[in-house]
Amino acid sequence: MLVVALVIALALFFDFTNGFHDTANAMATPIATGALKPRVAVAIAAVLNLVGAFLSTEVAQTISGGLIREGPGGVQVTPVLILAGLIGAIVWNLVTWLLGLPSSSSHALFGGLIGAVIVGAGIGAIDGGVLVSKILIPAVLAPFTAGLISFIATKIAYSITKKRERDNFKRGQVFTSALVSLAHGTNDAQKTMGVITLALIAGGLQKAGTGPELWVIVVCAVAIAVGTYTGGWRIIKTIGRGITDIEPAQGFAAEVATTATILASTHLGFALSTTQVASGSVIGTGVGRKGASVRWKTAGRIALGWLITIPASAAVGALAAFLAGLGLWGIILDVVLAAAAILVIFLRSRRNRVDHRDFHLPQPGAFVRPKKRKKAVAGG
Amino acid sequence: MINWSAFVVVVVVALVAAGVLVTLFSTALRVGDGDAPWRRPVSVGLYVVCGLVVAFGLYLIIPALHAG
Repeated sequence: MLVVALVIALALFFDFTNGFHDTANAMATPIATGALKPRVAVAIAAVLNLVGAFLSTEVAQTISGGLIREGPGGVQVTPVLILAGLIGAIVWNLVTWLLGLPSSSSHALFGGLIGAVIVGAGIGAIDGGVLVSKILIPAVLAPFTAGLISFIATKIAYSITKKRERDNFKRGQVFTSALVSLAHGTNDAQKTMGVITLALIAGGLQKAGTGPELWVIVVCAVAIAVGTYTGGWRIIKTIGRGITDIEPAQGFAAEVATTATILASTHLGFALSTTQVASGSVIGTGVGRKGASVRWKTAGRIALGWLITIPASAAVGALAAFLAGLGLWGIILDVVLAAAAILVIFLRSRRNRVDHRDFHLPQPGAFVRPKKRKKAVAGG
Repeated sequence: MINWSAFVVVVVVALVAAGVLVTLFSTALRVGDGDAPWRRPVSVGLYVVCGLVVAFGLYLIIPALHAG
């Protein structure tokens, strides 16, 4: 009972970190080009994530999508293991946030669970084939696919339009970024709903085979929306400013590429990570515009972050599962340590704050064009 | 195993969708830039087509619209 309550609390906190980690996917480019004011952008993203969470409540029957051999004949994923996995996921999400790295929250969750299950049930409980085919290979393909599409979209946009027209891409960016947010909401809040529902079922508080309760949907939607509104400014800075300097046409092209890739992948059965798609798109658009340069060092850091996300969160998850295996005091120690880690990370983050105020300065030449203003007024 | 054919379909669909959207929006911008009287309605028309493509995207995202 206590464990189930803890799982719910941690799952919601994970949902929150998921939200603020992923604000950048949709909103880094419109903020970077000035298409949306930073606070407005995160507010739109938050609302659309909230809406998205309600639109789709198709919760996966297994948390891991077959990654862990669950159910009859396999391991019983107990609430204690879920708890340990969540601790791994949360700690890693916060570490990457502190470093400003856009890493996949799903990977962090899977990593944490893998670590916890290996300690709890042995390495045989992990389906290596699924790990490779559903996570590792898509993780390599996602950025390249999105990068290629974004590259071509950028080329098209720049070949059709003249320089003075390109500022108007900002208007389009408002819609494309909104679409990415909504798509994110329909996907990501479901993971937490699934975790909580499975914990409730495992704890005997809900009948097996039933969907999420209304309150679960509501709290998950709110948690991800609040997280999104809080805004992972560090990650927005990395994607929006760190990889390449983005012009409105590029932002539009990158978001169209992101949206198209995510929608195509979720609806045609080859799931790709939103975070990796969005980062790949930004790199692609940087390569696609003449005169733009991609900071490959930053891109390399991001790639390295993706590479170690699963092992790192697995390590934390494994440690948490080991402690939890010691009994009630172990679980308490787990939660105390996790809380301490979260506190330390927040205190560290205060040393060099990054928030919405960092984005009000326009990039030189990026979006102040008085000429356009006059024309818009004259035209009506 | 990896479902390569699904992956290829995803790439092609995403590429075509992104290409169409960007082309429509860019052309709308290009056409809208000028004084000739035919330009404005054509430009608006292209924006509308663009909007329809996005609306189709929304339709795909929201299961409630096509599930039942």
